[in-house]
Amino acid sequence: MELFNKIYKDKFAFGAFLVLAFLYLIILFADFIAPYSSLYSNRDMSYAPPSKIYTITEDGRISKPYTYNYIREYEPSLMQTIYKQDRSTKYYIKPFVKGEKYKFLGIIPCDRHLFGVREGGYIYPLGTDINGRDVFSRLLFGGRISMTIGFLSLFIVFPIGLLYGGISGYFGGIIDNIMMRFAEAIMAIPSFYLLIILAAILPSGMTSIQRFCLIIVILALIGWAGFARVIRGMVLSIKNEEFVQAAKTIGASKLRIITKHILPQTTSYVIIALTLSVPSYILAESGLSFLGLGIQQPDASWGNMLKEAQEFTNILYRPWLLIPGLLIFTAVLSFNLLGDAIRDFLDPKSKIR
Amino acid sequence: MKRVLFWIAVILIFGLCLKGCVKKDIPEKYSENILSGNIENILYPDKNKNVEINGVEYLQSQAPVGKFGGQIVVSAIGEGPKTFNPCNTKDATSASMAGLLYDGLLTTEPVTGEVIPLLAKSFEIRGNEYVIYLRKGIKWTDGTPITAEDVIYTYKDIVYAGLGNTATRDAMMIKGKLPELLKLDDYTIKFITPEPFAPFLRQLTYPIVPKHYFKPYSDKGDSVFNAFLNPDTPPKQIVSSGAFKLKEYVPAQRVVFERNSDYYKVNLDNKKLPYLDKLIYLIVGDTNNEILKFEAGEIDVLSLRGSNVARYKIKEANSNYKIYNLGADNGTLFLVINLGNRKNKEGKWNVSPIKQNWFRNRDFRTAVDWAVDRDGMIKNIAQGVAEPLFTAEGLSSIYLNKEIKGHPKDKNVSKASLEKAGFKLDNGILYDNKGNRVEFDLYTNAGSIDRESIGVMIKQDLEELGMKVNFKPIEFNSLVNKLSNTQDWDMAIMGLTGSPLEPHDGKNVWMSNGPLHLFNQRPQNYQKDDRFDWEIELDNIFEEGALKLSYKDRKPIYDKYQTIIYNEKPIIYLYSPIRITAIRKKIQNIFPSKLSGLLYNIDEIYVEKEEDK
Repeated sequence: MELFNKIYKDKFAFGAFLVLAFLYLIILFADFIAPYSSLYSNRDMSYAPPSKIYTITEDGRISKPYTYNYIREYEPSLMQTIYKQDRSTKYYIKPFVKGEKYKFLGIIPCDRHLFGVREGGYIYPLGTDINGRDVFSRLLFGGRISMTIGFLSLFIVFPIGLLYGGISGYFGGIIDNIMMRFAEAIMAIPSFYLLIILAAILPSGMTSIQRFCLIIVILALIGWAGFARVIRGMVLSIKNEEFVQAAKTIGASKLRIITKHILPQTTSYVIIALTLSVPSYILAESGLSFLGLGIQQPDASWGNMLKEAQEFTNILYRPWLLIPGLLIFTAVLSFNLLGDAIRDFLDPKSKIR
Repeated sequence: MKRVLFWIAVILIFGLCLKGCVKKDIPEKYSENILSGNIENILYPDKNKNVEINGVEYLQSQAPVGKFGGQIVVSAIGEGPKTFNPCNTKDATSASMAGLLYDGLLTTEPVTGEVIPLLAKSFEIRGNEYVIYLRKGIKWTDGTPITAEDVIYTYKDIVYAGLGNTATRDAMMIKGKLPELLKLDDYTIKFITPEPFAPFLRQLTYPIVPKHYFKPYSDKGDSVFNAFLNPDTPPKQIVSSGAFKLKEYVPAQRVVFERNSDYYKVNLDNKKLPYLDKLIYLIVGDTNNEILKFEAGEIDVLSLRGSNVARYKIKEANSNYKIYNLGADNGTLFLVINLGNRKNKEGKWNVSPIKQNWFRNRDFRTAVDWAVDRDGMIKNIAQGVAEPLFTAEGLSSIYLNKEIKGHPKDKNVSKASLEKAGFKLDNGILYDNKGNRVEFDLYTNAGSIDRESIGVMIKQDLEELGMKVNFKPIEFNSLVNKLSNTQDWDMAIMGLTGSPLEPHDGKNVWMSNGPLHLFNQRPQNYQKDDRFDWEIELDNIFEEGALKLSYKDRKPIYDKYQTIIYNEKPIIYLYSPIRITAIRKKIQNIFPSKLSGLLYNIDEIYVEKEEDK
């Protein structure tokens, strides 16, 4: 609670916290907020620009927000696809419209969406992609993968790293020596080449999400070693403290001393490492998807959505495809700001201000 | 003070948000773009002639006389050449560069596709005998004359011996025998094939190499020969015959070729070609990089695809380049279905018998074909710069069966076809006649936006029929391994390149024992004859077609093979992109050809001097 108060007082950290809270909230309610599902596609609207939303009519009166549909035209002599507004019908944007069916929070069947237009109209707040899928909706669904995948690896890295580092540091001597050399051997595995090999040999019967989770798990299985080394260093200094001696004298078991007395002392470092390693997995996901190793079509993730923007003309003419990049940037920056601030609060000695 | 600033900031942000919400409805204006002129149809001049000057038999180009000097910069996508040895090229970049250095006896006429003399003065065909007459007095770049010895050496010691790339040897093999090769005199050679064999003549376009320069290396066997003329070779040492010789190679940056001042081709004024002083290949990493270099004026030629076409077409009128439409690409993009009914070594089915029943049923494949939305793919993925494809021969092939008109997407035809095959649709879910849910995997190689998007569309199209499609983009090498070795796949989206001139090159795909018989791949040394009737027919067609010599006799045979594939649909063709190329206006003597592209006559191309610069 004290930590939260401190975050609240630090403007940057609180801002970052709000941004992250907002992001997690909208991906939690993605089904409801998104006007379409992640697999919805309209073939006649490939690369349609964002819908223009008007609140003042042509003759200058204020109106409820409305939008027009686009019509695609193809100019054969130029080989160009042009989107023009179909100004014959206005589609008013209404809250809680009926749309595709989904399960709210995965349980309650529901067919209302936060906003939308009546049947026959389309609303693409951030345009569409090559298959005519709504970028805004896919951003929300993609965020579910991109923003949570980091935590999956944390569940592997942290328990292993803590226990391994704790045992190694506490026992010391030859056990420490052997365990640390083993950890170093694991750190020496080149992860990038491992991934390329994995991509080739993983059974292809898996869905892209299963495969990606497996890749993350494997990355985590070679990623705990660095963390374990830091913990071991901390344990080395903590084990000589008086309260550890006291516990030993009482006759507590070694495992109990490690888990109940020594490791809790490393909490501040663990929290910091935790917040700072989540963004690295968000970036890893986008990098892997970019290379074709991560989440694959038709599933959405910020990384594979951003991949579409790499083409020259897409950057020039379809800037809305770059928005996933903006979100990755925002999320990573927020995690880093928050992590930085938490480090300052928990570890006053390292504060350089 | 701080507080005031804070409130100003809040009000500003709030105001901007409000401004974002309040937007006046003003009709959008669309600029009308007017095209500059129509696509001209420039015809390639008459065939080259032979002229004799001072006892040397030159080849005379019939193209308009141009100006000497200047340079052209073109791009090579990828990592650059891996070798300059024309007998050992395995990638397109190396092959095109080595091809500049070494000419073949014969070459392909760029417009009609016939075989015409190049290094040879002329040739005669008498049944299964091919007599080649060489030019007298022409030389390698080191001054040694080019004689029959070099030709005999090239074919006997390199091609027949199986050094380097063996594709030519395989193609020359007729019923397990290689043609006999005789030297009649210093400038005459005779090939005798075991029986008349139509694709043979085209194999004589193989580059001829200098015996005195190559022999020390070819004698030492495959490994030494393969390392010979690698990109580290000092350019001055290379003895070649082509219009250009190598000047400089900077790895990962550029390859510079300079004029061969003693080339055997002359222009109408009998001056020695080529016109260009230098031909520079700039090595660029990918197509985006290539586009940026073209925009910056660093390269002179750019091939365009998808939405780039419109961008450059609009700018063409006020620019220093011209855009040529070279027609549909000859590569094919397709959906292939696994018709295999074999078990692997461990005794497990490659494709489960339930799925075999579907895939081996022609009505099922017909349903898939009619469900595929080719128009949608062309509009969305190729941005309109493509044509639908229904035939096994590419659209630019001279053997294209024009009778096959294709069909639009029609879900009702698909449904009728499935019903005929005993499939039942229940509550939007498709079951086969034994009550199994129709569900299978669709593979393609990950990393290609085009193919992934095609996969997404096909998945939707087939799911409209009630099938369940698991679309899985996987890494390219794993896909190749699946298709050619393990064969545990159901459907895949793939592409192949083909020759627009010689349908017999497709025998590795279509003959039932071919190494690329994707849809029903048999293991090596497979004894059992379990061919479909139409597979037997295809085998016969490819054997028969190679033995007929004239185009007129061969055309109906190859028409039939395309009809069979169109009817049986083991492979469902999707679309072919249209090749659009932009080239600087200063480059003259360009005669666009649907078969050969733009720069095939690089020795006749010249650069107009830019006076205003």
